[in-house]
Amino acid sequence: MKTLVALLAMATVTGASAPETVRFIACPIYRDADNGKKSGCWLADDPASGRRFDVSQAPSKPDWNHEVLVEGRVSVETGDPCGGVVLEPVRTSILPGDCTRHMLPAETYKGRRFVLPKRNVAPMSAERPVPPGPYVPTTFHLFYDFDRDFLIYQYDDYLLDQAATWIRAAKPRSIVVTGRAATDPVMVSGRSIAENPGIARARADRIAESLVRLGVDRRIITVRAEGKATPIDVDTADGLAEPSRRRVDILVRP
Amino acid sequence: MRFRAAPVALGLAIAAFASSVTAQVDYADAWWAPDSGRSFPAQADYTDSTGTLRVLLTGGPMETKGHPFFAAIGPSGRACVTCHQPADAMSLSAATARARWDATAGKDPLFAAYDGSNCPSLPQADRASHSLLLDHGLIRIQRPWPPKDPAGKAMTPDFTLEVVRDPTKCNAAKGSISVYRRPRPVANLKYLLAVGFYHDPKQGMPLPLDPETGKPLSGNLMADGRASTLNAQMMDASSTHLALLKNMEAADMARIVDFESRVYTAQQSDKDGGALNADGAEGGAEKLAVSKPGQLGSIGKPVWSEFEAWEKPVPGMSPAKAAFRASVARGAKIFRDKTFLITDSAGINSPVGFGNPVRNGCAFCHNMSQMGNDVAPGQVDLGTTNQPFADPMPWLPLFRVTCKGPPHPHYGRVILTYDPGYALTTGRCADVGKITLQSLRGLSARAPYFSNGLAKDIRGIIDFYERRYNIGYTEQEKQDLVNLMSAL
Repeated sequence: MKTLVALLAMATVTGASAPETVRFIACPIYRDADNGKKSGCWLADDPASGRRFDVSQAPSKPDWNHEVLVEGRVSVETGDPCGGVVLEPVRTSILPGDCTRHMLPAETYKGRRFVLPKRNVAPMSAERPVPPGPYVPTTFHLFYDFDRDFLIYQYDDYLLDQAATWIRAAKPRSIVVTGRAATDPVMVSGRSIAENPGIARARADRIAESLVRLGVDRRIITVRAEGKATPIDVDTADGLAEPSRRRVDILVRP
Repeated sequence: MRFRAAPVALGLAIAAFASSVTAQVDYADAWWAPDSGRSFPAQADYTDSTGTLRVLLTGGPMETKGHPFFAAIGPSGRACVTCHQPADAMSLSAATARARWDATAGKDPLFAAYDGSNCPSLPQADRASHSLLLDHGLIRIQRPWPPKDPAGKAMTPDFTLEVVRDPTKCNAAKGSISVYRRPRPVANLKYLLAVGFYHDPKQGMPLPLDPETGKPLSGNLMADGRASTLNAQMMDASSTHLALLKNMEAADMARIVDFESRVYTAQQSDKDGGALNADGAEGGAEKLAVSKPGQLGSIGKPVWSEFEAWEKPVPGMSPAKAAFRASVARGAKIFRDKTFLITDSAGINSPVGFGNPVRNGCAFCHNMSQMGNDVAPGQVDLGTTNQPFADPMPWLPLFRVTCKGPPHPHYGRVILTYDPGYALTTGRCADVGKITLQSLRGLSARAPYFSNGLAKDIRGIIDFYERRYNIGYTEQEKQDLVNLMSAL
């Protein structure tokens, strides 16, 4: 079931409007909830509306010295552990622009106790069950922060591990690694942003090398790069259209 | 410092070599000179600053005559053991260096001009020419500039490097730079070579592979990660520290690897707390020798839970012993559980995605069960070499790094550093000041600490972290951490 389709269908059945999505650029605010390891809250104010959002559940967190691009969906869950409208799922991409660092005390907010994300890669010692067939041509996807080629910890590493496990079982004849980038300019928070065209190739090159390090024969890998990427609707993209444009596709042909 | 090799009750798992332990022998001097022809015992205990360090050699004692780790195979008269002394937890303390200077009037091969002095061009008979080794335990490390890749090909770094200050007068020549670092312990290596996960979160890539074996590399050898295998480390060390003009023989390297893979060191007893494996505690070297390496403490055996049994007092114990043990147990919990805001530390706050800042504790990075090194490759910038976080160290050279591409995520475009660290291996300005985390065992035997000797004692380590991250340790917490670390 694809996430975007499911969300739209749910909205149709219930008569409710589709969940609100937001995309803006802001200086992040750190709230020190001081509720154990990794319990801090990350907040960001949409400059257009003035609304404060809780972006803490992004797999890669902000840096209080730099602007962030926030892309997320307003969560259907209630509760306000950090002092902002909760976005979940959400992505935050660190941008080069400088910010004045700002930290709030916990006040009445407890943040969230750290819970290991569902997408966490297992130790090497853990046995990887052989994925069930059939081993037919299959495409795996990895997603990136804006203008980055760095695999997102406890998200992409998990997806790559899943792909590599499947590839080992499928014993493919060829693999095509295609890096994609959102190179067409779009307006966000009153400014035009676009990914560097070279980032698509950089993403693909790093994934090709990653696959080799995970045991794939370099000779069966072909690397490609394309700009002006379009969104895809797959479960691993969590229904976030814009971040899904920034990706690598690993086409595996058994 | 005194040495004794003595038969003691060993655990079942090491009984195979326990029977071969020699009878107790006292030595007036623990210094292990090259070509001494001594037998390396299966177990040796050395008195250190807080108690007793134990050195184990699994598989039984070993004759060192002609052994390449102990033989002066180069023209300098040095051997590997010169800077990796058993009594110093297979490292070298500044105190030991001073003792050798005093005992030999500076004639020991330890003080070889190439790297046992501040610079080969200085008058070698002067103590001042060896001040970095004598006062701070530092060996000169000459790295190529621009950096070279493992194949020896010059890389194009994304930063420029200028010498701001050169107190050792060893950074005037082009083609290399000199930095000064502490020798790392050659012990407990199965932990440093262990690989826990395929993925390196700090690099956003799976671990690189050993070209010889095809297996993932741990990335936890050497301060700047310039060698990823023991063989590569030996090649590097033999051509520099030993001044060997030709490559080491494969058979010799295999013998060294065999030896290094069997050596374990840890603090064994404390002068106040007694045996560190008593009353349910699991400190000491034996546990290291038989435990599985590469385990992440947060999902398995918690880091320093070796001292969990000491959380409960034992009736009838002397007040001093009870107080020390309780302090160690508290220190272990503080190490694991006390959190603080970690800020602007590359390798943690960037580019991994933990956020800047992130709230966590000591065991966030020192996360491997039994050892306290990083399960992932441990290249992190804690600020020990970069300004403004590093303490003033006017005796060290100071470099100005200017990033040519994107600025450093935390320092901006210009960085002042005493040692670019990992960046001298990768050529990336984002790696300036990253130093590979090392193991935390045998600390009482090998002061000073951090790669550049910034902390003169264990309390100095705690005080540095307090300054760096504004942790807010109480005086009791500081002492508990000192006691814990002295017991490792």
